[in-house]
Amino acid sequence: MNGRTLSATPTLTERAGALFHRYANPGRFLRLGDRIQPWLTWSAVIITLIGLSWGLFFSPADWQQGDSVRIMYVHVPCAWLSSSGYFALAVCSVLSLVWKHPLADLAAVEIGPVGACVTATCLATGSLWGKPMWGTWWVWDARLTSVLVLFFLYLGHIALIHAFDDQQRGYRAAAILALAGAVDLPIIKFSVQWWNTLHQPASITLTGAPTMSQTMLWPLLISTLGFTLGFAAIVVARLRAGVMESRIRSLLSSPRRASSGEASA
Amino acid sequence: MKRKTRRLWLVIACVAGLGTAAGLTLSAFSSNIQLFMAPSQVVDHPPAADRTIRLGGMVVAGSVKRERQGETPINLFQVTDGQAAVTVRFEGILPDLFREGQSVVAVGSLEPDTTFVASEVLAKHDETYMPKEVAEALQKSGKWNPKFGPPPDAASWNAMTGKDTAAGKN
Amino acid sequence: MTHLPYILASYGLAGSLAVILSVGAALRLKRDRVKLASLEAARGRSQGGKRA
Repeated sequence: MNGRTLSATPTLTERAGALFHRYANPGRFLRLGDRIQPWLTWSAVIITLIGLSWGLFFSPADWQQGDSVRIMYVHVPCAWLSSSGYFALAVCSVLSLVWKHPLADLAAVEIGPVGACVTATCLATGSLWGKPMWGTWWVWDARLTSVLVLFFLYLGHIALIHAFDDQQRGYRAAAILALAGAVDLPIIKFSVQWWNTLHQPASITLTGAPTMSQTMLWPLLISTLGFTLGFAAIVVARLRAGVMESRIRSLLSSPRRASSGEASA
Repeated sequence: MKRKTRRLWLVIACVAGLGTAAGLTLSAFSSNIQLFMAPSQVVDHPPAADRTIRLGGMVVAGSVKRERQGETPINLFQVTDGQAAVTVRFEGILPDLFREGQSVVAVGSLEPDTTFVASEVLAKHDETYMPKEVAEALQKSGKWNPKFGPPPDAASWNAMTGKDTAAGKN
Repeated sequence: MTHLPYILASYGLAGSLAVILSVGAALRLKRDRVKLASLEAARGRSQGGKRA
Protein backbone atom coordinates (compact mmCIF):
# COMPACT_ATOMS: atom_id res chain seq x y z
CA MET A 1 0.00 0.00 0.00
CA ASN A 2 2.67 2.47 0.96
CA GLY A 3 5.97 0.66 0.54
CA ARG A 4 7.48 2.08 -2.59
CA THR A 5 6.26 5.67 -2.15
CA LEU A 6 8.82 6.36 0.59
CA SER A 7 11.00 9.18 -0.69
CA ALA A 8 14.67 9.73 0.02
CA THR A 9 14.13 12.25 2.81
CA PRO A 10 11.10 11.12 4.79
CA THR A 11 9.05 13.78 6.54
CA LEU A 12 7.87 13.40 10.09
CA THR A 13 4.42 12.23 9.00
CA GLU A 14 6.00 9.64 6.72
CA ARG A 15 8.24 8.33 9.44
CA ALA A 16 5.38 8.20 11.94
CA GLY A 17 3.29 6.35 9.36
CA ALA A 18 6.06 3.87 8.66
CA LEU A 19 6.36 3.25 12.39
CA PHE A 20 2.65 2.47 12.72
CA HIS A 21 2.80 0.17 9.73
CA ARG A 22 5.80 -1.64 11.11
CA TYR A 23 4.46 -2.22 14.61
CA ALA A 24 0.74 -2.49 14.03
CA ASN A 25 0.09 -4.38 10.84
CA PRO A 26 -2.66 -6.96 11.24
CA GLY A 27 -0.45 -10.03 10.81
CA ARG A 28 2.07 -8.83 13.35
CA PHE A 29 -0.74 -7.83 15.68
CA LEU A 30 -2.23 -11.33 15.49
CA ARG A 31 1.06 -12.93 16.54
CA LEU A 32 1.66 -10.34 19.29
CA GLY A 33 -1.95 -10.61 20.47
CA ASP A 34 -1.75 -14.40 20.77
CA ARG A 35 1.22 -14.00 23.04
CA ILE A 36 0.00 -11.21 25.33
CA GLN A 37 -3.65 -12.28 25.60
CA PRO A 38 -3.28 -14.78 28.50
CA TRP A 39 -1.13 -12.34 30.50
CA LEU A 40 -3.57 -9.52 29.92
CA THR A 41 -6.63 -11.60 30.76
CA TRP A 42 -5.34 -13.25 33.90
CA SER A 43 -3.69 -10.14 35.35
CA ALA A 44 -6.99 -8.29 34.74
CA VAL A 45 -9.02 -10.99 36.51
CA ILE A 46 -6.68 -11.21 39.50
CA ILE A 47 -6.14 -7.47 39.96
CA THR A 48 -9.85 -6.67 39.57
CA LEU A 49 -10.77 -9.34 42.11
CA ILE A 50 -8.21 -7.97 44.58
CA GLY A 51 -9.36 -4.37 44.07
CA LEU A 52 -13.08 -5.08 44.29
CA SER A 53 -12.92 -7.43 47.27
CA TRP A 54 -10.71 -4.92 49.07
CA GLY A 55 -13.29 -2.26 48.26
CA LEU A 56 -16.26 -4.43 49.25
CA PHE A 57 -14.99 -6.05 52.43
CA PHE A 58 -11.83 -4.42 53.75
CA SER A 59 -12.06 -0.70 53.04
CA PRO A 60 -13.85 1.45 55.61
CA ALA A 61 -17.35 2.84 55.21
CA ASP A 62 -17.59 6.58 54.60
CA TRP A 63 -18.64 8.75 57.53
CA GLN A 64 -21.58 10.19 55.57
CA GLN A 65 -22.30 7.76 52.78
CA GLY A 66 -22.00 4.63 54.87
CA ASP A 67 -21.40 1.52 52.79
CA SER A 68 -22.77 3.02 49.58
CA VAL A 69 -19.29 4.51 49.09
CA ARG A 70 -18.34 1.02 47.85
CA ILE A 71 -20.24 1.71 44.62
CA MET A 72 -17.39 4.11 43.86
CA TYR A 73 -14.97 1.20 43.30
CA VAL A 74 -17.05 0.23 40.25
CA HIS A 75 -18.32 3.64 39.19
CA VAL A 76 -15.08 5.62 39.10
CA PRO A 77 -12.99 3.08 37.12
CA CYS A 78 -15.86 2.83 34.61
CA ALA A 79 -16.06 6.61 34.37
CA TRP A 80 -12.33 6.97 33.72
CA LEU A 81 -12.41 4.10 31.23
CA SER A 82 -15.35 5.56 29.34
CA SER A 83 -13.32 8.70 28.67
CA SER A 84 -10.01 6.99 27.97
CA GLY A 85 -11.77 4.43 25.75
CA TYR A 86 -13.22 7.25 23.72
CA PHE A 87 -9.79 8.87 23.58
CA ALA A 88 -8.45 5.61 22.13
CA LEU A 89 -11.29 5.71 19.59
CA ALA A 90 -10.26 9.25 18.61
CA VAL A 91 -6.61 8.16 18.22
CA CYS A 92 -7.75 5.29 15.98
CA SER A 93 -9.74 7.81 13.96
CA VAL A 94 -6.68 9.99 13.35
CA LEU A 95 -4.66 6.91 12.32
CA SER A 96 -7.48 5.89 10.03
CA LEU A 97 -8.16 9.28 8.44
CA VAL A 98 -4.53 10.35 8.01
CA TRP A 99 -2.61 7.12 7.52
CA LYS A 100 -5.47 4.88 6.33
CA HIS A 101 -4.26 2.26 8.72
CA PRO A 102 -6.33 -0.95 8.37
CA LEU A 103 -5.76 -2.06 11.98
CA ALA A 104 -7.00 1.30 13.29
CA ASP A 105 -10.32 0.78 11.51
CA LEU A 106 -10.70 -2.72 12.92
CA ALA A 107 -9.77 -1.44 16.40
CA ALA A 108 -12.38 1.33 16.16
CA VAL A 109 -15.06 -1.27 15.36
CA GLU A 110 -14.12 -3.26 18.46
CA ILE A 111 -13.52 -0.42 20.94
CA GLY A 112 -16.93 1.17 20.30
CA PRO A 113 -19.22 -1.50 21.83
CA VAL A 114 -16.91 -2.16 24.80
CA GLY A 115 -16.70 1.57 25.51
CA ALA A 116 -20.48 1.90 25.27
CA CYS A 117 -20.92 -0.93 27.81
CA VAL A 118 -18.47 0.72 30.21
CA THR A 119 -20.20 4.09 29.85
CA ALA A 120 -23.58 2.48 30.46
CA THR A 121 -22.19 0.86 33.63
CA CYS A 122 -20.82 4.22 34.73
CA LEU A 123 -24.22 5.87 34.25
CA ALA A 124 -26.16 3.05 35.89
CA THR A 125 -23.90 2.73 38.95
CA GLY A 126 -23.88 6.51 39.29
CA SER A 127 -27.66 6.44 39.31
CA LEU A 128 -27.66 3.65 41.89
CA TRP A 129 -25.43 5.80 44.10
CA GLY A 130 -27.38 8.98 43.43
CA LYS A 131 -30.74 7.62 44.52
CA PRO A 132 -29.82 6.93 48.16
CA MET A 133 -27.24 9.76 48.47
CA TRP A 134 -28.52 12.73 46.50
CA GLY A 135 -32.12 11.69 46.66
CA THR A 136 -32.59 11.36 42.89
CA TRP A 137 -31.72 8.86 40.16
CA TRP A 138 -30.87 11.54 37.65
CA VAL A 139 -30.37 15.27 37.39
CA TRP A 140 -29.58 17.26 34.27
CA ASP A 141 -26.35 18.80 35.50
CA ALA A 142 -23.35 19.40 33.29
CA ARG A 143 -21.40 16.28 34.35
CA LEU A 144 -24.23 13.78 34.02
CA THR A 145 -25.45 15.27 30.75
CA SER A 146 -21.99 15.34 29.17
CA VAL A 147 -21.43 11.66 30.07
CA LEU A 148 -24.84 10.80 28.61
CA VAL A 149 -23.74 12.60 25.44
CA LEU A 150 -20.60 10.44 25.45
CA PHE A 151 -22.79 7.34 25.65
CA PHE A 152 -24.81 8.50 22.64
CA LEU A 153 -21.58 9.26 20.77
CA TYR A 154 -20.51 5.65 21.34
CA LEU A 155 -23.91 4.42 20.10
CA GLY A 156 -23.71 6.72 17.07
CA HIS A 157 -20.24 5.44 16.28
CA ILE A 158 -21.40 1.81 16.44
CA ALA A 159 -24.38 2.55 14.20
CA LEU A 160 -22.41 4.61 11.69
CA ILE A 161 -19.51 2.20 11.27
CA HIS A 162 -21.92 -0.50 10.09
CA ALA A 163 -24.28 1.79 8.20
CA PHE A 164 -22.66 1.65 4.76
CA ASP A 165 -22.48 -1.18 2.26
CA ASP A 166 -19.00 0.03 1.42
CA GLN A 167 -17.06 -0.77 4.59
CA GLN A 168 -14.42 1.90 3.90
CA ARG A 169 -17.04 4.65 3.83
CA GLY A 170 -18.41 3.44 7.16
CA TYR A 171 -14.93 3.56 8.70
CA ARG A 172 -14.45 7.08 7.39
CA ALA A 173 -17.78 8.43 8.58
CA ALA A 174 -17.39 6.84 12.01
CA ALA A 175 -13.84 8.18 12.33
CA ILE A 176 -15.07 11.72 11.63
CA LEU A 177 -17.82 11.31 14.23
CA ALA A 178 -15.38 9.94 16.83
CA LEU A 179 -12.98 12.80 16.23
CA ALA A 180 -15.69 15.47 16.40
CA GLY A 181 -17.11 13.85 19.54
CA ALA A 182 -13.72 14.07 21.26
CA VAL A 183 -14.71 17.69 22.05
CA ASP A 184 -16.93 16.15 24.74
CA LEU A 185 -13.93 14.74 26.65
CA PRO A 186 -12.61 18.06 28.08
CA ILE A 187 -16.22 19.08 28.73
CA ILE A 188 -16.73 15.96 30.88
CA LYS A 189 -13.44 16.51 32.68
CA PHE A 190 -13.94 20.18 33.49
CA SER A 191 -17.75 20.26 33.77
CA VAL A 192 -17.52 20.09 37.56
CA GLN A 193 -15.16 23.10 37.62
CA TRP A 194 -16.66 25.32 34.95
CA TRP A 195 -20.25 25.09 36.14
CA ASN A 196 -21.96 24.28 39.37
CA THR A 197 -23.24 20.73 39.34
CA LEU A 198 -24.79 18.23 41.71
CA HIS A 199 -21.96 15.85 40.92
CA GLN A 200 -18.99 16.32 43.24
CA PRO A 201 -15.68 17.66 41.88
CA ALA A 202 -12.75 15.32 41.36
CA SER A 203 -11.15 13.91 44.52
CA ILE A 204 -8.02 12.84 42.69
CA THR A 205 -6.32 15.51 40.61
CA LEU A 206 -2.92 15.90 39.02
CA THR A 207 -2.32 19.22 40.75
CA GLY A 208 -3.37 18.65 44.35
CA ALA A 209 -3.32 15.99 47.04
CA PRO A 210 -6.28 13.60 46.91
CA THR A 211 -9.18 14.49 49.21
CA MET A 212 -9.79 10.83 49.86
CA SER A 213 -8.60 8.64 52.66
CA GLN A 214 -5.71 6.38 51.65
CA THR A 215 -7.69 3.39 52.87
CA MET A 216 -10.17 4.10 50.08
CA LEU A 217 -7.70 5.39 47.53
CA TRP A 218 -5.71 2.15 47.28
CA PRO A 219 -8.62 -0.18 46.46
CA LEU A 220 -9.86 2.44 43.99
CA LEU A 221 -6.53 2.61 42.18
CA ILE A 222 -6.19 -1.18 42.12
CA SER A 223 -9.74 -1.60 40.78
CA THR A 224 -8.97 1.00 38.13
CA LEU A 225 -5.84 -0.87 37.06
CA GLY A 226 -7.82 -4.12 36.93
CA PHE A 227 -10.69 -2.61 34.94
CA THR A 228 -8.24 -1.01 32.51
CA LEU A 229 -6.45 -4.31 31.95
CA GLY A 230 -9.83 -6.00 31.52
CA PHE A 231 -10.88 -3.40 28.95
CA ALA A 232 -7.61 -3.95 27.10
CA ALA A 233 -7.97 -7.74 27.29
CA ILE A 234 -11.49 -7.67 25.86
CA VAL A 235 -10.55 -5.21 23.12
CA VAL A 236 -7.45 -7.24 22.17
CA ALA A 237 -9.51 -10.45 22.05
CA ARG A 238 -12.21 -8.82 19.93
CA LEU A 239 -9.60 -7.22 17.70
CA ARG A 240 -7.88 -10.58 17.12
CA ALA A 241 -11.26 -11.98 16.12
CA GLY A 242 -11.83 -8.91 13.93
CA VAL A 243 -8.50 -9.39 12.14
CA MET A 244 -9.30 -13.05 11.54
CA GLU A 245 -12.75 -12.15 10.25
CA SER A 246 -11.32 -9.64 7.80
CA ARG A 247 -8.95 -12.37 6.61
CA ILE A 248 -11.85 -14.76 6.25
CA ARG A 249 -13.70 -12.14 4.23
CA SER A 250 -10.78 -11.58 1.90
CA LEU A 251 -10.24 -15.34 1.51
CA LEU A 252 -13.90 -15.82 0.67
CA SER A 253 -13.99 -12.95 -1.81
CA SER A 254 -10.80 -14.00 -3.62
CA PRO A 255 -10.28 -17.70 -2.97
CA ARG A 256 -7.87 -18.04 -5.87
CA ARG A 257 -5.28 -15.54 -4.69
CA ALA A 258 -2.32 -17.06 -2.89
CA SER A 259 -2.26 -14.48 -0.10
CA SER A 260 -4.70 -11.90 1.17
CA GLY A 261 -3.45 -8.37 0.71
CA GLU A 262 -3.20 -7.30 4.30
CA ALA A 263 -1.48 -10.41 5.61
CA SER A 264 1.60 -9.75 3.53
CA ALA A 265 2.40 -6.16 4.53
CA MET B 1 3.14 11.02 0.91
CA LYS B 2 2.50 14.76 0.75
CA ARG B 3 -1.17 13.80 0.91
CA LYS B 4 -0.78 12.22 4.32
CA THR B 5 0.80 15.37 5.74
CA ARG B 6 -1.98 17.43 4.22
CA ARG B 7 -4.62 15.12 5.66
CA LEU B 8 -2.99 15.40 9.09
CA TRP B 9 -3.14 19.20 9.00
CA LEU B 10 -6.70 19.07 7.74
CA VAL B 11 -7.70 16.86 10.68
CA ILE B 12 -5.87 19.11 13.16
CA ALA B 13 -7.53 22.22 11.69
CA CYS B 14 -11.00 20.64 11.81
CA VAL B 15 -10.61 19.53 15.43
CA ALA B 16 -9.27 22.95 16.42
CA GLY B 17 -12.14 24.71 14.65
CA LEU B 18 -14.74 22.44 16.17
CA GLY B 19 -13.18 22.81 19.63
CA THR B 20 -13.27 26.61 19.34
CA ALA B 21 -16.89 26.54 18.19
CA ALA B 22 -17.89 24.27 21.06
CA GLY B 23 -15.99 26.41 23.54
CA LEU B 24 -17.66 29.62 22.34
CA THR B 25 -21.10 28.02 22.39
CA LEU B 26 -20.63 26.69 25.91
CA SER B 27 -19.33 29.99 27.25
CA ALA B 28 -22.27 31.80 25.61
CA PHE B 29 -24.76 29.47 27.28
CA SER B 30 -22.73 29.19 30.46
CA SER B 31 -25.40 30.59 32.76
CA ASN B 32 -27.97 28.13 31.38
CA ILE B 33 -25.66 25.20 32.03
CA GLN B 34 -25.38 26.08 35.72
CA LEU B 35 -27.48 23.64 37.68
CA PHE B 36 -28.43 26.03 40.45
CA MET B 37 -28.47 29.68 41.56
CA ALA B 38 -26.65 30.86 44.65
CA PRO B 39 -28.64 32.56 47.45
CA SER B 40 -26.92 35.90 46.78
CA GLN B 41 -28.04 35.77 43.13
CA VAL B 42 -31.59 34.97 44.23
CA VAL B 43 -31.57 37.86 46.71
CA ASP B 44 -30.07 40.35 44.22
CA HIS B 45 -32.32 39.40 41.30
CA PRO B 46 -35.42 37.71 42.73
CA PRO B 47 -37.03 35.50 40.07
CA ALA B 48 -40.76 35.66 39.36
CA ALA B 49 -42.85 33.79 41.92
CA ASP B 50 -44.18 31.31 39.37
CA ARG B 51 -40.77 30.39 37.99
CA THR B 52 -39.26 27.12 39.15
CA ILE B 53 -35.59 27.52 39.98
CA ARG B 54 -32.92 25.51 41.71
CA LEU B 55 -31.26 27.06 44.71
CA GLY B 56 -27.91 25.70 45.85
CA GLY B 57 -25.82 26.38 48.93
CA MET B 58 -24.81 25.26 52.38
CA VAL B 59 -27.35 24.57 55.12
CA VAL B 60 -26.71 27.15 57.86
CA ALA B 61 -25.69 25.60 61.19
CA GLY B 62 -28.49 25.76 63.75
CA SER B 63 -31.12 26.87 61.23
CA VAL B 64 -32.91 23.54 60.72
CA LYS B 65 -36.39 23.35 62.26
CA ARG B 66 -38.44 20.21 61.84
CA GLU B 67 -42.16 20.22 62.46
CA ARG B 68 -44.92 17.80 61.81
CA GLN B 69 -48.27 18.56 60.25
CA GLY B 70 -50.23 15.34 60.66
CA GLU B 71 -48.26 12.79 58.68
CA THR B 72 -46.02 15.04 56.60
CA PRO B 73 -42.83 16.40 58.09
CA ILE B 74 -42.22 20.09 57.44
CA ASN B 75 -38.62 21.26 57.31
CA LEU B 76 -37.46 24.84 57.55
CA PHE B 77 -33.82 25.70 57.05
CA GLN B 78 -31.58 28.42 55.68
CA VAL B 79 -29.27 28.04 52.70
CA THR B 80 -26.26 30.29 52.30
CA ASP B 81 -23.37 30.91 49.94
CA GLY B 82 -21.49 33.01 52.49
CA GLN B 83 -22.94 36.30 51.25
CA ALA B 84 -26.69 35.89 51.62
CA ALA B 85 -29.06 33.38 53.14
CA VAL B 86 -32.48 32.24 51.94
CA THR B 87 -35.03 30.42 54.09
CA VAL B 88 -36.27 27.19 52.52
CA ARG B 89 -39.49 25.39 53.39
CA PHE B 90 -39.82 21.79 52.32
CA GLU B 91 -42.62 19.33 53.01
CA GLY B 92 -41.41 15.76 52.83
CA ILE B 93 -38.57 13.46 53.73
CA LEU B 94 -35.06 14.85 53.38
CA PRO B 95 -32.31 12.72 51.78
CA ASP B 96 -29.89 10.71 53.95
CA LEU B 97 -27.00 13.09 53.43
CA PHE B 98 -28.96 16.16 54.56
CA ARG B 99 -27.45 17.81 57.62
CA GLU B 100 -26.35 21.23 58.84
CA GLY B 101 -23.22 22.29 57.01
CA GLN B 102 -24.06 20.10 54.00
CA SER B 103 -24.45 21.55 50.52
CA VAL B 104 -27.92 21.05 49.10
CA VAL B 105 -29.85 21.89 45.95
CA ALA B 106 -33.51 22.79 46.46
CA VAL B 107 -35.97 22.80 43.55
CA GLY B 108 -38.90 25.18 43.90
CA SER B 109 -39.90 28.81 43.66
CA LEU B 110 -39.43 31.99 45.64
CA GLU B 111 -42.57 33.23 47.38
CA PRO B 112 -43.27 36.99 47.66
CA ASP B 113 -42.31 36.85 51.36
CA THR B 114 -38.83 35.66 50.23
CA THR B 115 -39.19 32.12 51.57
CA PHE B 116 -38.22 29.51 49.05
CA VAL B 117 -40.82 26.76 48.85
CA ALA B 118 -39.09 23.61 47.69
CA SER B 119 -40.78 20.66 46.02
CA GLU B 120 -37.58 18.61 46.10
CA VAL B 121 -34.35 18.78 48.10
CA LEU B 122 -31.19 17.07 46.84
CA ALA B 123 -28.10 16.63 49.00
CA LYS B 124 -24.83 17.48 47.31
CA HIS B 125 -21.88 15.36 48.31
CA ASP B 126 -18.45 16.96 48.38
CA GLU B 127 -15.23 15.42 47.13
CA THR B 128 -14.07 14.27 50.57
CA TYR B 129 -14.12 10.55 51.29
CA MET B 130 -13.36 9.88 54.93
CA PRO B 131 -13.76 6.79 57.12
CA LYS B 132 -16.20 7.04 59.99
CA GLU B 133 -13.52 6.61 62.67
CA VAL B 134 -11.49 9.48 61.28
CA ALA B 135 -14.50 11.79 61.17
CA GLU B 136 -15.33 10.94 64.76
CA ALA B 137 -11.73 11.41 65.88
CA LEU B 138 -11.48 14.76 64.11
CA GLN B 139 -14.67 15.98 65.73
CA LYS B 140 -13.67 14.69 69.16
CA SER B 141 -10.32 16.43 68.98
CA GLY B 142 -12.09 19.66 68.04
CA LYS B 143 -10.20 20.02 64.76
CA TRP B 144 -13.37 20.06 62.72
CA ASN B 145 -17.07 20.59 63.13
CA PRO B 146 -19.06 19.34 60.13
CA LYS B 147 -21.70 22.01 60.77
CA PHE B 148 -19.34 24.79 59.79
CA GLY B 149 -17.82 23.63 56.55
CA PRO B 150 -15.60 21.15 54.78
CA PRO B 151 -13.12 18.96 56.68
CA PRO B 152 -9.39 19.74 56.80
CA ASP B 153 -6.99 18.56 54.14
CA ALA B 154 -6.75 14.78 53.69
CA ALA B 155 -2.98 14.92 54.16
CA SER B 156 -3.52 16.05 57.76
CA TRP B 157 -5.59 12.99 58.68
CA ASN B 158 -4.25 10.30 56.36
CA ALA B 159 -1.63 9.24 58.89
CA MET B 160 -4.44 9.01 61.41
CA THR B 161 -6.41 6.75 59.06
CA GLY B 162 -3.71 4.10 59.03
CA LYS B 163 -3.37 4.04 62.79
CA ASP B 164 -7.05 4.25 63.47
CA THR B 165 -8.20 1.57 61.08
CA ALA B 166 -5.35 -0.73 62.12
CA ALA B 167 -6.34 -0.35 65.76
CA GLY B 168 -10.07 -0.01 65.19
CA LYS B 169 -10.57 -2.99 62.90
CA ASN B 170 -12.08 -5.84 64.83
CA MET C 1 -23.98 -3.15 55.29
CA THR C 2 -26.14 -0.16 54.55
CA HIS C 3 -27.61 0.34 51.08
CA LEU C 4 -26.97 -3.31 50.25
CA PRO C 5 -29.43 -3.55 47.32
CA TYR C 6 -27.76 -0.62 45.56
CA ILE C 7 -24.28 -2.04 46.14
CA LEU C 8 -25.27 -5.51 44.95
CA ALA C 9 -26.96 -4.08 41.86
CA SER C 10 -23.84 -2.08 40.97
CA TYR C 11 -21.39 -4.94 41.41
CA GLY C 12 -23.79 -7.39 39.78
CA LEU C 13 -24.21 -5.16 36.75
CA ALA C 14 -20.47 -4.63 36.30
CA GLY C 15 -19.75 -8.34 36.84
CA SER C 16 -22.37 -9.57 34.43
CA LEU C 17 -21.30 -7.13 31.73
CA ALA C 18 -17.69 -8.27 32.13
CA VAL C 19 -18.76 -11.93 31.85
CA ILE C 20 -20.98 -11.28 28.81
CA LEU C 21 -18.24 -9.33 27.00
CA SER C 22 -15.46 -11.81 27.72
CA VAL C 23 -17.50 -14.93 26.94
CA GLY C 24 -18.71 -13.28 23.74
CA ALA C 25 -15.15 -12.44 22.71
CA ALA C 26 -13.91 -15.96 23.55
CA LEU C 27 -16.67 -17.64 21.53
CA ARG C 28 -16.06 -15.33 18.60
CA LEU C 29 -12.31 -16.08 18.68
CA LYS C 30 -12.97 -19.82 18.77
CA ARG C 31 -15.44 -19.69 15.88
CA ASP C 32 -13.17 -17.51 13.74
CA ARG C 33 -10.13 -19.66 14.40
CA VAL C 34 -11.97 -22.80 13.25
CA LYS C 35 -13.34 -21.07 10.17
CA LEU C 36 -10.01 -19.53 9.20
CA ALA C 37 -8.23 -22.87 9.62
CA SER C 38 -10.76 -24.68 7.42
CA LEU C 39 -10.58 -21.98 4.74
CA GLU C 40 -6.79 -22.02 4.72
CA ALA C 41 -6.76 -25.80 4.60
CA ALA C 42 -9.13 -25.73 1.63
CA ARG C 43 -6.96 -23.18 -0.14
CA GLY C 44 -3.86 -25.20 0.68
CA ARG C 45 -5.43 -28.31 -0.89
CA SER C 46 -6.52 -26.57 -4.05
CA GLN C 47 -3.15 -24.84 -4.53
CA GLY C 48 -0.97 -27.36 -2.74
CA GLY C 49 1.24 -28.07 -5.77
CA LYS C 50 1.90 -24.44 -6.59
CA ARG C 51 2.67 -23.31 -3.06
CA ALA C 52 5.01 -26.13 -2.16
